[in-house]
Amino acid sequence: MSLKIRTKFGSIKIERRLTYPRHISILTTVLAILLSFAAVAVILTLMGINAFEAFAVMARAFIVPRLLFESVKQSIPICLSALGIAIAFKMNFWNIGAEGQIYMGMIAATGVVLLHVYYGAFNEYLLLPLMTISSFLLGGVWCLITSFLKSKLNVNEILTTLMLNYVAILIVDYLIHGPWRDPKGYGFPLSIAFPNYAKFIFVLDSPAYTGLLISILAAAAVFFVMKYTKIGFEINVVGHSLNVAKYAGINVSRVIMLGSFLSGGLAGIGGLSIVSGIIGRLRPRASPGYGYTAIIVAALAGLNPWLIVVASLFFGGLLTAGESLQASMNVPKAATQMIQAIIFLFILMGEFFKRYQIIFERGGNGS
Amino acid sequence: MEDLVVLRGIVKRFPGVVANDHVDFTLKRGEVHALLGENGAGKTTLMNVLYGLYKPNEGEIYVKNKRVHLKSPKDAIELGIGMVYQNFRLIESHTVLENIILGAKDLEFKIDFERHEEKIKRLAEVYGWKIDPRMKVWQLSAGEKQQVELLKILYRGADILILDEPTSVLTPQETRRLFKALRRMASEGKGIIFITHKLNEVMEVSDRVTVMRRGKVIITKNTAETSPVELANYMVGRPVILKIEKAESKPGAEIAKLIDLEALSDKGVLALRKVNLTIRKGEIVGIAGVSGNGQVELAEVMIGLRKATKGKVMIDGVDVTNKNVKEIIELGVAYIPPESTRWGIVKDLRIADNLFLKAYRYPPYSNKLLLNWKKIFEETEKLVKEFEIMTSSIFAKARSLSGGNLQRLILARELSGLIGGGAPKLIIAAYPTKGLDVGATEFVHKTLLRYRELGSGILFISEDLDEILMLSDRIAVMLEGRITGVLSREEANVEKIGLLMSKAVAQAR
Repeated sequence: MSLKIRTKFGSIKIERRLTYPRHISILTTVLAILLSFAAVAVILTLMGINAFEAFAVMARAFIVPRLLFESVKQSIPICLSALGIAIAFKMNFWNIGAEGQIYMGMIAATGVVLLHVYYGAFNEYLLLPLMTISSFLLGGVWCLITSFLKSKLNVNEILTTLMLNYVAILIVDYLIHGPWRDPKGYGFPLSIAFPNYAKFIFVLDSPAYTGLLISILAAAAVFFVMKYTKIGFEINVVGHSLNVAKYAGINVSRVIMLGSFLSGGLAGIGGLSIVSGIIGRLRPRASPGYGYTAIIVAALAGLNPWLIVVASLFFGGLLTAGESLQASMNVPKAATQMIQAIIFLFILMGEFFKRYQIIFERGGNGS
Repeated sequence: MEDLVVLRGIVKRFPGVVANDHVDFTLKRGEVHALLGENGAGKTTLMNVLYGLYKPNEGEIYVKNKRVHLKSPKDAIELGIGMVYQNFRLIESHTVLENIILGAKDLEFKIDFERHEEKIKRLAEVYGWKIDPRMKVWQLSAGEKQQVELLKILYRGADILILDEPTSVLTPQETRRLFKALRRMASEGKGIIFITHKLNEVMEVSDRVTVMRRGKVIITKNTAETSPVELANYMVGRPVILKIEKAESKPGAEIAKLIDLEALSDKGVLALRKVNLTIRKGEIVGIAGVSGNGQVELAEVMIGLRKATKGKVMIDGVDVTNKNVKEIIELGVAYIPPESTRWGIVKDLRIADNLFLKAYRYPPYSNKLLLNWKKIFEETEKLVKEFEIMTSSIFAKARSLSGGNLQRLILARELSGLIGGGAPKLIIAAYPTKGLDVGATEFVHKTLLRYRELGSGILFISEDLDEILMLSDRIAVMLEGRITGVLSREEANVEKIGLLMSKAVAQAR
């Protein structure tokens, strides 16, 4: 718990904090972000890029309306997946398979669209709700496979959730290169474009974006489930102590399976928000790793659903800012990703200082 | 007599607490000095300071009239200080001989095992111990392992011995043997510090006693000039009653019956062997025995946490063998688990959450889907008052409660009839007072007796014979997964229980 480093001049002690005061937590996050910008500035300067200009370009992702909408769009899949991850992490079920669940959600949503377009199934007003439900179900089932294996055969979910990501990505590849390829698409691996009523919209050019609405509703739902329902209570107890949960007579495997279904389902809707909200069709590699970014977002937000909404907006903005940097300042893509990574890293380091304090003691070894 | 150890003004702070607050302590040559105090009083911290494990923030340490600065236990060992911990630090797969000479001073390059064996045998004989240095440590009983620990220290030539709660793993007979050996060591001019929280042991073996409370020394006295009652008052800081009034037992119908019960331990070996036992309404059946002889496994099988491999568990006429925990809870079985922080409490959840760990799923506290927090909070307020749980708020984390208050919380959850109302039919209490202070222990005892009056059948597991004898109406003794005997309260005494607890009986069978 505590580490002591002795030096000639005194000792440095690292100790776990007994309490985590709110002002320290806010201060460290702000400080971490500022420091990360300083580090980014140094690197940009070394690359011969004017750091201030670059920051000005990046800031536009949060200010200029057109870019802000883009940032919001990018944040939706991150937010929904992170909400799902939060449920799983609350019960110590380490679901790192949001990426795969996102892909399954995209498959379900696209499937519904194709049924409608080719076979005339479903009323067009019913289409989006149906897409939402089906992407939730398929994403949920994708995660349920892993929790089922865990509770019946004690298979480690970290491995299965991760491995199923690749399976899901390859299924999309197969569908898009095969049966679901647009016959009029000149052979490109793309599905047909979604009809407008199967897409998310910006209402009156404001960020009252269908996706944002879904995100906020989802955050509210997660908040409600965790706080006011029996299953939420059970998820909490299981997460804090498996031993105590068993002792209390809680059916642990049922809780883990139900929780993981909800978790995967939310990521599945995240997949819907990509095909319906960002691209407007299905294509291979449609997610640039939203499901992984979501893990960081969930952790940073301390699994709090409202903070997840805020944190995903920030990370969505960073993605947009990266694209702007590439376009207007010729910063290579790899460099923009590095910038994002540096910011992640500093924030994660900040987490350390929220939990531990460093005490300097003067005086040498004597006394 | 010469002072072997003098501690002056020792202060040791940990984040948030002062574990030792200006402590003075003296150990004389040729005495057994008891260090008495409740859990958390700072006894072990003080001894870790003397043993070089902790560096004090303030204060001076003198050993044999010389000021010393201990940097590590190595320094302490060189000064002739030896420590026997509660949990032994021996290599199980090595022989007694190997364990003892490991770390011995001035070991020759080519070890002359026979010479050492002779010396060890002679040393053991001095204290009346029959120990074969060629035996592997895992073959020994707890008492014998302790003798090996002591031999290890004595073999190094230590003359300042610290024993941390040495009797907690011993049968009464083994305890007596240990005390004899300690007296003998003292007569040879060694100094012995004996850490304990048991008053009768202080009276029996020590020359002087120092009482600690909340990090401070309250008093140091000659044992002959004090009494258990006086010591208890110093220890707790208020007058305490050592005996409690117990009404005549009026056992009713059978509530639980175990028939040829067998089960495996976590390691997959047989932990229960053909256990037969009956518990009736309104009686307390005590399970005595050194812990680790199948007591916890027995409790877990009864509550559905562990599978029975053979035999039957009947509760209130229903066969509940290998039913799940929830079904058994619903039959009216309460369980006070051992190591409550691991099994019975979620420290990072609120008091209200912890109180409703089991009852949350039943009306009126929830419907099919939603929890009724208003009802839960109301009931929590009531129970916190009724069971005298000291807390600033029912929304405080369980972490903020002291050990005694945590146990009250568990009692409140298990006994107050949140599920189904009324007193539980069967209460299984596994080590419910372990680690608690005198006040909290008293509360647990009184509560269990109260529920006995209300007609609950109670299975009471403890390794403290005094409380077993004080509370039980019948006493079963467990050894290596077997019940070696069941005694009525009238025929039971420490001597008889001790015999049933010891290996000799098991081997005779």
